Amino acid sequence: MTTSRVQGVSSSPVVSVSQYLTLAFSYFTVGVTVSVTLVERDVDPWLILAAGLFVHSATSELAHVAVIDAGGPLLAGVASGWLVAARFGVLAASLEPRLRSSTPWWHRAGIAANAFDPNTALALNQSDNRDVRRAFWWVTSALVLGWWVGSITGVLLGNVLHDAKSIGLDVVFPAALLAVIGGQLRSRSGLVTALISGGLLILSLPYLPAGAPILVAVFGAAAGALWPNRPSARDNDDQDPVRRPGTTRDDIR
Amino acid sequence: MTWLAVPLLALGVAAIRLGGMFVAGPVLQRHPLLIRLSSLIPVAVVAALVTQLGFLSGGSFVVDERAVGLLAAAILVWRRAPFPVIIVAAAAVTALVRLF
Repeated sequence: MTTSRVQGVSSSPVVSVSQYLTLAFSYFTVGVTVSVTLVERDVDPWLILAAGLFVHSATSELAHVAVIDAGGPLLAGVASGWLVAARFGVLAASLEPRLRSSTPWWHRAGIAANAFDPNTALALNQSDNRDVRRAFWWVTSALVLGWWVGSITGVLLGNVLHDAKSIGLDVVFPAALLAVIGGQLRSRSGLVTALISGGLLILSLPYLPAGAPILVAVFGAAAGALWPNRPSARDNDDQDPVRRPGTTRDDIR
Repeated sequence: MTWLAVPLLALGVAAIRLGGMFVAGPVLQRHPLLIRLSSLIPVAVVAALVTQLGFLSGGSFVVDERAVGLLAAAILVWRRAPFPVIIVAAAAVTALVRLF
């Protein structure tokens, strides 16, 4: 542990004002996107807000809704929501070594429960272990603030927008999901996973009950994980946040 | 989304996050393949969802206006555009193609 820093320096802000506002605005858009998507499906506004608060993962909400849209049963929808949250488990795992010795278990639990891409990336970018928690919670406050204002705005906006298709709102949903995995598509293993999973979905669609093809597509991840790494590859392979801290996109969850 | 789905999703997502901190954190560091696999699972599911939402209609594969909007989104994701720009461009491009 490097504790050679001057005391006064570590109280300097870990997140600049413009960074804070950018992060809050990004999650504001995420909140609007999810709420509008759900209002369009006639979900109770209170349920939309409760889902934002308790599920605490926009990707899980969207993944769940996508399976239900396709006519899948509740449990397939829930499973799909859980599977996309595996990312947060990996993020929490990547924070663990930086917190292990300095942070009580209940504080680590709080951090784990709030692990998103931007707060984890910025926390891991701190060179001093004492700044990890501070950066994490500052970014978290920006994300949650933006998300909440966005969720409420989206509920109100969704009730005003009619004919969502004519303004292209049906594409916002897949585009948001694409942005979530954008960082990982740059790696060879990520791209292989995505292509095989998309292919598995299309191939299995005619033969399986609704909701099941999404779960079959998970096996694309095994293919991607086993795909040989070539160090000379044009792109950086292996963008997983555990081994390459700070390589996750820092504006989306 | 129903009132039953929310607690199920919430409990599972929280368990995954806490499991990452208290179980996977100490263990996974020693098993790089498992780390790779668990960070690729969301890519797999999300890619399948994007395929379904962008290219399927009534259970069959189609390429329509949505594909153009998604192509715009993909280019912007590749160019590392900010999230709000990606979302607005995807919707706008799709809407424009639908006009013609």
